[in-house]
Amino acid sequence: MSTPTSPLIHLVDDDDAVRDALALLIGTVGLRVQAWPDPLHFIGQFDRDSIGAIVLDIRMPGISGLAVLDTLVQQGVDQPVVMLTGHGTVDLCRRAFKSGAAEFLEKPVDDELLLDTLQGAVRTHVKSRQRHQADREARERFGLLSEREREVLALIVGGLTNKEIGRALGLSPRTVETHRANLFAKLGAESLAQVIRRYADLAEGTA
Amino acid sequence: MRRIALLALAWLLLSASGAAWMGRAELDRQRAAFETDARIAHRLLSQRVVEHDAILATLVLLQPGAVAGEAAPEQRLPSVYPQVLGVLRHDGTTDWPADRQQALTAGETASRAAGRAVLAHADFTAGHYTVVRAAHPASFALVIDLKALVPRAEWPLPDNGPVRVALQHAGQERVLMPGQVASPGGWSFGFRKHLAAESQAFDVVAERRIGWDELPWGRIAGWAVACGLAVLGIRAWAQQRAGRRRAQELLRLGRVGRLNAMGELAAGMAHELNQPLTAVLANTNAAQRLLAEAPPDLETAREAMAQAATQARRAADVIGRLRRSVQEPGDTTVRVPVAWADTVRRALDVLAPELQRLGVSAEISGDAATRVVADPVALEQVLHNLLNNALHALEQVPAAERRLMLSLGTDSTQGVLRVRDTGPGIAPDALPRLFEPFFSTRHGGLGLGLSLCETLATRMGGTLSGGNAEQRGAEFWLALPLATTPAR
Repeated sequence: MSTPTSPLIHLVDDDDAVRDALALLIGTVGLRVQAWPDPLHFIGQFDRDSIGAIVLDIRMPGISGLAVLDTLVQQGVDQPVVMLTGHGTVDLCRRAFKSGAAEFLEKPVDDELLLDTLQGAVRTHVKSRQRHQADREARERFGLLSEREREVLALIVGGLTNKEIGRALGLSPRTVETHRANLFAKLGAESLAQVIRRYADLAEGTA
Repeated sequence: MRRIALLALAWLLLSASGAAWMGRAELDRQRAAFETDARIAHRLLSQRVVEHDAILATLVLLQPGAVAGEAAPEQRLPSVYPQVLGVLRHDGTTDWPADRQQALTAGETASRAAGRAVLAHADFTAGHYTVVRAAHPASFALVIDLKALVPRAEWPLPDNGPVRVALQHAGQERVLMPGQVASPGGWSFGFRKHLAAESQAFDVVAERRIGWDELPWGRIAGWAVACGLAVLGIRAWAQQRAGRRRAQELLRLGRVGRLNAMGELAAGMAHELNQPLTAVLANTNAAQRLLAEAPPDLETAREAMAQAATQARRAADVIGRLRRSVQEPGDTTVRVPVAWADTVRRALDVLAPELQRLGVSAEISGDAATRVVADPVALEQVLHNLLNNALHALEQVPAAERRLMLSLGTDSTQGVLRVRDTGPGIAPDALPRLFEPFFSTRHGGLGLGLSLCETLATRMGGTLSGGNAEQRGAEFWLALPLATTPAR
């Protein structure tokens, strides 16, 4: 995994014993754990850029886990949230998923289930971060293209040959070939397939 | 406030329409009576005046001769007919009286021309009139007293009655009956008709005035009171019904509230227990994993196991605390003699809406007067639970097969109440666990009902048993100690 730091699990539970035990258990599979006894403190302080997942107890004094979840979603937090409850009802479960919870587990939770869920959540998060990263890079590279090169790219994505592109834009096939080469260089692409996969959406947005 | 105004309006409308109808009917009755009386009066007066014509005709025909030294025979007529004041004659020897000669002569001429009696002179103020009949040799005239014209014997109207009767002729009027002047306002009936004799074609004018005070106020007041009572009765009935509905609603709310409290208790308990259990499980799982590592992390694993043990103890404490908090502080059970009948009635009252919904009516047999020693509230709760279970069972069978039977009575030393239903009965595998706490066959049931019932029955010195009935359905029987003094 080419992430700057190893994944971090935020564990929010007001019960010391539960928090310590779960932190120890999660630690046994090599995941780092940051434990938060106070949900409000957690909302105010946790590192939103970290890679990982959040484990939220539903029943906490002061603020319910569902309210914390709503706040996180509103703030655009992208870490997957795993809800934990000692009294899981269908209604509670439905509300949690509707609010955007990644998983809903009942206490006492089986170790395999919890750890698998957390590892799955971390993988999901890493992938989504990578996708975001790739998207950002693609946008930056796309910004380097000239107006003409963007036109040519749009037609390439549209499946036209150099000759056809030249006719469409009133250019000689040779000029088209030059634009094409520049464009590939600027985008850092090695193959047509790569260009289409990464830039089809952006190119069609300008066409 | 609006309801009261509405009720008052309803009462007013009812009373007013009833009063109008009764007043109308009374007026119609009075009018009919008046018209009958007026017709009778007219007929009697007509007979009288026709009589005068007949007397004159007889005199003219007989021409009674005058005997010297004696009064003329016709002069005896006033003694026979009280209304005849005098008989006048005009012949060769006797002329009309000088004071009325002119009128009588003119009347005689007219009579001769018409060939019948005619009215010669009328003085209604003085109270008399004269009818003349011309003939040969003698013409006769009758002086009639208006006062005596009314035939008292047959007259339908009382002297000081409400009807005014008068005779009118050529602008003159003579009142025969004064009648009574009614209070101002009100209604008046009138009657006017000529007398049936051309010679004395006076108008009979009758009038009856009816004042407001003559309406049947007594009956109207009675009706208004009756309407008021009816409206109040309807209101009381509606209020009672609303009250009953409210009471049922409260009862239902109470039940829901109890269920909510139970749900809350269960949620709280689940949380209290799940926290330490979660810690125990997580610690032991972690320890297993630490021990499986190569090399095993013994120190951390040992700490995890110690934590697990602490948390297991915490769970046990939660259970202990819970048990202590729900335990009775001592035996405070009330024990009084209770008749089966009272308990059964109250329990059925509470479940009346359910019974009605399912179309079930409890069939009660046995001796309802049997009295047992029990805590009335606990007993009612037990019976309520048993009936409720029975109704739940009956809900699962077609309406036509639903029966709920209660048999009351004694069983040598104990009072026994049996509740039997025709529902699907109890599954064989559920039978041994009937009274086990938290065992329920009902979806969403807590499984505490029968367990609680049994506890209550035992605490009252009785027993609760249950099973399947011989034919079909389930049967539960509650046995309680008999009260020593029978209530007879």
